Amino acid sequence: MNNQNLGLYKRIIKLIFILAISHTLINCTSVQPWQRRNLAKPQMALDSASMINELRSHNYGSREAGSGGNSASGGGCGCY
Amino acid sequence: MAVTKQKNLTLNAFTAAALLLPGLVVPSAHAADNDEMDFQYSHYQEGKRNIGDVPNSKNPIEVDTIQGGAKTSLSDRVKFTFKYTQDTWSGATPITTAPLTFLGNNPIQTNGVITGASPLITGRINVDKNNNYSPVQQAGVESNGIIPIYQNNNQLVHTLSVASPETRKQGDFKLGYEWDEAGLDVGGGLSVENDYESRFGNVGGYFDFNQKLTRLNLGLSYTNSDTNALIDYDAQTYIDKNAYMASGQLNSTQNGLRMQSNRQDWGSNIGLTQVLTENSLIQGTVGYTRSTGYMANPYKVMEALFVDPNQPPDLINPLGDGRNFFGDGTPANIVNADVKAFLEKRPDLRNQVNLGSRYVHYLSFLDAALHLDYHFSNDDWGIKAHTFEGDWVQPIGSGWTVTPRIRYYSQDAADFYKPYLVINQKASSNSNNTDYQKLPDNYSSDQRLSAYGALSGGISISKKFAKGVTLDTGFEYYTHAGSLKMGGGGEADYANFSYYVANASLKVNLSALGHISGSSEHSHHEHLHSSPIPAGVMFGHMMEKTGEFMVGYRYMYNTEGGGMLHGANSIADKTIVNQGCGTTDKCYLTANGMNMHMHMLDLMYAPTDWLNLMLMPQFVDMNMSMRKLNDAPSGGMQNMMVPAMVNAGMNTGGVGDTGIYTLFKLFSTPNHRINLTLGATAPTGDVALLMRHTMGQSMSAVKGIDGGFYDYGMQLGSGTWDFKPSATYTGHFDEWSWGTQVNGTKRLENKNSSGYALGDVIQSTAWGSYSLLHWLSSSVRGVYTYQGAIKGEFNAPIDKMGPIDYPKNYGGQYWDVGFGINAFVPSGNLVGNNLSFEWLQPVGTQVNGYQLNRDGALSATWSYMF
Repeated sequence: MNNQNLGLYKRIIKLIFILAISHTLINCTSVQPWQRRNLAKPQMALDSASMINELRSHNYGSREAGSGGNSASGGGCGCY
Repeated sequence: MAVTKQKNLTLNAFTAAALLLPGLVVPSAHAADNDEMDFQYSHYQEGKRNIGDVPNSKNPIEVDTIQGGAKTSLSDRVKFTFKYTQDTWSGATPITTAPLTFLGNNPIQTNGVITGASPLITGRINVDKNNNYSPVQQAGVESNGIIPIYQNNNQLVHTLSVASPETRKQGDFKLGYEWDEAGLDVGGGLSVENDYESRFGNVGGYFDFNQKLTRLNLGLSYTNSDTNALIDYDAQTYIDKNAYMASGQLNSTQNGLRMQSNRQDWGSNIGLTQVLTENSLIQGTVGYTRSTGYMANPYKVMEALFVDPNQPPDLINPLGDGRNFFGDGTPANIVNADVKAFLEKRPDLRNQVNLGSRYVHYLSFLDAALHLDYHFSNDDWGIKAHTFEGDWVQPIGSGWTVTPRIRYYSQDAADFYKPYLVINQKASSNSNNTDYQKLPDNYSSDQRLSAYGALSGGISISKKFAKGVTLDTGFEYYTHAGSLKMGGGGEADYANFSYYVANASLKVNLSALGHISGSSEHSHHEHLHSSPIPAGVMFGHMMEKTGEFMVGYRYMYNTEGGGMLHGANSIADKTIVNQGCGTTDKCYLTANGMNMHMHMLDLMYAPTDWLNLMLMPQFVDMNMSMRKLNDAPSGGMQNMMVPAMVNAGMNTGGVGDTGIYTLFKLFSTPNHRINLTLGATAPTGDVALLMRHTMGQSMSAVKGIDGGFYDYGMQLGSGTWDFKPSATYTGHFDEWSWGTQVNGTKRLENKNSSGYALGDVIQSTAWGSYSLLHWLSSSVRGVYTYQGAIKGEFNAPIDKMGPIDYPKNYGGQYWDVGFGINAFVPSGNLVGNNLSFEWLQPVGTQVNGYQLNRDGALSATWSYMF
């Protein structure tokens, strides 16, 4: 990876954190516990279908060079 | 009334707040609410590849995957998760890429008609020196009939090779502890396949803050993987392996040339999830993965065209009249290029950075959620990849949820990716050459490293039943194409392919079931305690309450080895050679050991108190090792085929036959029960599994010969509809229980689609069991089994090499003694779970013809009734 790319990533990472933190501060108390009813619904879960998603990731990971790597879990080869 | 309503609203709001927030878990006494078991089956099927002008008769890659897992709370704050995954794949996959003019897929002819292709990866072609050595082919001759006319042909094509069936097994676990606003997970696992073993460990944690509106995730993982791959026996002689021989990664072993190397991966990620509004949240992740070691694929080959720069253009002006040109009149400078094949090489270091983001929005007027993902990855191999995905999760009432999804992926090519290499040097003429030193440091023609895009779309449908059972089914179609690459410039369309995946899963929430009334608990206790059934006995239990369900998993392992038998006696190799394969044929090899694993899902429902319905899908995988028989005749084809088969062994696996049964209660008193089972197995297991086209071009005498069927015992099912009746008596008194069963298998057809039928089976068994503790019992069992020989025979070619290839060498009479234990959970959250094991030890064997002796069988069952 060249230095230019590294610099770019660092900037992007910084930006994400700054955005997230500033957003957090702005919204600090904006969503009260009793307002989180919708957020608690199963369809709103970040991984709303974990089994099938795991399978899909495995398939993508064995067919694509840039897939995977977003979760720290390890695994097999799947190199057919 | 209004006050009550207000109270309910407030209560709901606070309950909701205390519930699981997506990604923001609130640990509490409700932890046990997440105790669950799940099963999943999926089928991956690729479409046939286009291999140019030769028909592609090879079945494309297909993969069957089963997965089972359990998540349980060891205490309010401690959770344990275990998962088992097994996939079996087989089919044709590209091993390399070459110009079409090279005819890399060697036509196979049957009665003068081209019916298929076998791989051909070394030879010589013509290239045009005036046009960057682009491949040319003769398009005809001039009217004088002598001077050839050439045309450029830059068309590329994959060379396909069939991968023998292979099974990968993976077990992994995770142990988690949760505090009020934080959690820590430690996990690990092992993935094992014939040629690759991977061990991994990980640690992850989260921390909630800002009134649980924000979560910080951290993860670290380490993977250590060994490649131990047998280089394709048929291809050994014409793949240049000198680079790896020199590096010491390729070693000669007793049973062939093996790639033995190691790879290590460190992965890390950090993520931040933020609740934005009462209807939306966002997540951002950054990951970094560092991989070192051998990252190439030991079966992929790079084609290199060696063009001698000092070579006189032998096809210019052959008649001295200056005429030799392309069809359009352009003068040609046609020279020869030697095509050589090299095991691919990839850098031994890869740094990959991943950025991910996810936005989830709730649409209240539809009660639906929209999930939007974007993922970017970049590595120092030069691969930049973008992934976009959108999922629409739409509940439609009565527990149904429909989720359509669409995904787009695009990547650049790796710096060292090329469809094939052109080397402007002369190729060595001897085999002990240093041609590999003329190549770049790294090279691969694997399409996964090419520039392309992929578009996929699918739908999942889920139904949540009362009692905490959820059924899911899904389908996805995926298409890979160079033209789909973002911004254009992707690989040509020869590399395009598509696949679909269909899956079904069952999830059982144990704690939801455990909360069902105390009478149910009593019934589990009463029922399971009364008459434990040894793990190897099927159809022993019936549910006696209308509306009850049972879900179970059954595993059976059979192992054979320890020498060959004729009847009940050990037999010398010489006799097997002369008599084991009939009166005219000789035997050359025999089975040395065989292992069979069966995984069965057991689904049962009681529509009335006297009748149960049962569905039993099965999944099998088998492997067989072989040895050359002493005193086997030598010469001819066998000289080449015997070592090939002994080296590689045989592996098959996939979906087996599916059982459908009805159980009737004939008689029942508190201490005695008699059940009758009538059912059948549907022939869903494959009985036409073929060995690969074994021989490549090195064996010109048998070039393109089809390996024929795997032997009868390695096929995945019976291929016929089979009637399977059984009658079971069970009784118990105090701490003692006992039972007996007679069961049979009657083939309902004379032959299956491959031309034969397995023998009928009759089995009788009796057992006694004693309760050591109120939750634990042990059993002893005797079993007698009779199985007939195979009727008919394969209706298409099979390489008859040993006794296993002859129908008369199947079936026999078997006597076994079984030792088992049986445990059940009498109370608590996991009440109703039952676990049993049994080992069957052969005590007498009388086989038909010549067969491998038996070592024993293990059965394990888990069942849960609710």
